Amino acid sequence: MSASQSAVRSRAEAVKVSRTFDWLILFTLFFVVLGGYHIHYMLTGGDWDFWTDWKDRRLWVTVAPIVSITFPAAVQACLWWRYRLPFGAVVCILGLLLGEWINRYLNFWGWTYFPVNFCFPSNLMPGAIVLDAVLLLTGSMTVTAVIGGMAWGLLFYPGNWPIIAPLHVPVEYNGMMMTLADLQGYHYVRTGTPEYIRMVEKGTLRTFGKDVAPVSAFFSAFVSILIYFLWHFFGQWFASTKFVEAA
Amino acid sequence: MKILKDKVAKLSFVALLITMTAAMFYTPTASAHGEKSQAAFMRMRTIHWFDLNWSKEEVPVNDTMTISGKFFVFSGWPETVDKPEISFLNIGIPGPVFIRAGSWIGGQLVPRSVSLELGETYEFKVLLKARRPGDWHVHTMLNVKGGGPIIGPGKWVTVTGSMGSFVNPVTTLTGETIDLETYNLSNTYFWHAAWYAVGLLWIAYWARKPLFIPRSIAVEAGKADTLITPADRKVTLAFAVGTIAIIAVSMASTNEKFPITTPLQAGLLRGIKSIQLPVPTVAVKVEDATYRVPGRAMQMTLTITNNGDSPVRLGEFNTAGVRFLDPAVAQDETGYPDDLLAEEGLTVSDNSAIAPGQSRTVQVTASDAAWEVYRLADLIYDPDSRFAGLLFFYDAAGNRQLVTIDAPLIPTFI
Ligand SMILES: [Cu+2]
Repeated sequence: MSASQSAVRSRAEAVKVSRTFDWLILFTLFFVVLGGYHIHYMLTGGDWDFWTDWKDRRLWVTVAPIVSITFPAAVQACLWWRYRLPFGAVVCILGLLLGEWINRYLNFWGWTYFPVNFCFPSNLMPGAIVLDAVLLLTGSMTVTAVIGGMAWGLLFYPGNWPIIAPLHVPVEYNGMMMTLADLQGYHYVRTGTPEYIRMVEKGTLRTFGKDVAPVSAFFSAFVSILIYFLWHFFGQWFASTKFVEAA
Repeated sequence: MKILKDKVAKLSFVALLITMTAAMFYTPTASAHGEKSQAAFMRMRTIHWFDLNWSKEEVPVNDTMTISGKFFVFSGWPETVDKPEISFLNIGIPGPVFIRAGSWIGGQLVPRSVSLELGETYEFKVLLKARRPGDWHVHTMLNVKGGGPIIGPGKWVTVTGSMGSFVNPVTTLTGETIDLETYNLSNTYFWHAAWYAVGLLWIAYWARKPLFIPRSIAVEAGKADTLITPADRKVTLAFAVGTIAIIAVSMASTNEKFPITTPLQAGLLRGIKSIQLPVPTVAVKVEDATYRVPGRAMQMTLTITNNGDSPVRLGEFNTAGVRFLDPAVAQDETGYPDDLLAEEGLTVSDNSAIAPGQSRTVQVTASDAAWEVYRLADLIYDPDSRFAGLLFFYDAAGNRQLVTIDAPLIPTFI
């Protein structure tokens, strides 16, 4: 068979091949994104995502959305501009969370015996759904960056609060007050993570008193917008076929 | 050429798989057996642990044990290591095989980092509750910011029973008693599963229809707009509004269920109380010190002056947690770890009592396999080849006094 001949002989066959490609591509995309995004997120979000006693109102809220909007922006750029498919962000988060859960369950719990209620990952799904939805509804990268990126940052803390709030109940322990999350960090010994490297509740937002979480979330949302632009361009460049098109 | 191409393809596929899985295999450091690989000068010239006591050698799950003792923050702290201005009393165990039920320095609970002073001695205690059965090497440990972990002596402790029976009850300030081992777990699983399901639904909605090839063709043909139907827009709007609604409702119900929450607690604890050891009445001058590599022995010439009012004898030399004893003067009754105890490892050329006012120059030899086993001999390869340690003198009534020494060490290879 020469290269100019078609590999399929009927419409039904063409549809079947096209569908097979759909699943192949989706499967590959899912796992490639899972691998790359997971490594990226572990290196940048790291301990803030690993441990409940790092999930504070200032730094976790600020750092996690900023470093996690990267891959969703890039994959959106590729899937939207080339296929008009609006699930770039969600597919990223599905991959990331699967990778994280496997890692936390098998390694943190199964291998090292840290309780899962101490080392579960952060929930990033609400922001991803809204990000994808905004892209579809507006079809504009700029609006997605501004409205979607803003939502990404703002929805992070409320999206996680139902999971972490029970761990922020205070407890008196040997004459000191701490939260249950602090107590988890104290009880479940991390030999390699001394207390002083825990970066929580630090910063200059003291004047906002107890309303510091929304302020941090807004700051995070603004930076997320910028990061979205940047990574959207990465994604567009990555998805370009200029280099392989026949001359 | 084809074979080469296949090979490259195969290799890149393997590389891809490795990258993907690498992240999933990350495990937090669990091992505490860095003690021997830590530079000798770190162990000899930073924190001197002494009077250590591991209260049990075998503990059933849910029972507690304590590790107590004192540590001296060495005055000749090496320049290459940051001072212990921000440090944390840790415990060297392989992951949470015990939980740290409490830790105190000078009677103060220290779940946070503390500021310690050079030249001071502190009393500490760590309370551990057994969680996972096995034989565990339990080390004392102090983390110093900018200096890394400083691992102290370790002793093997056996935990018996089964981890399944471990419980960790805690009573909150809102009056509830919970088991921290499993608390909030089903809530966590529930929310993660629920949101994951919403994500899958979103993909499923789009994956019903042909995805990549036909859509790509349509986009390239300039018919991208036909790919999104009005129904798609309605569904999308429903997803977005639904997401925000779920968040609003779950936030409200969470706040109703947990009206009292506090921020995470952090911060440095200052003003940790040290203990006042009596000023030693014995003065020691190190005339010279050599380490004989083949003999695994350190030899020092010391001039000892007794300025006190009772005669004293040298009973022990302690460095990096290794204790060299002269059995005629001092014995260990605390069950100190065997590998760190040289019960007859200290010989003094003349160890008769030094009378008050008397001064004597003696040859002291500290020899034991521990020099090799614990790689203390590697000291001679350190950039700052000095040794340090504690000398314990005893009088006839058993009163003990502690003198620190700090001097250069010259190796001899023959
Ligand atoms: Cu060990």
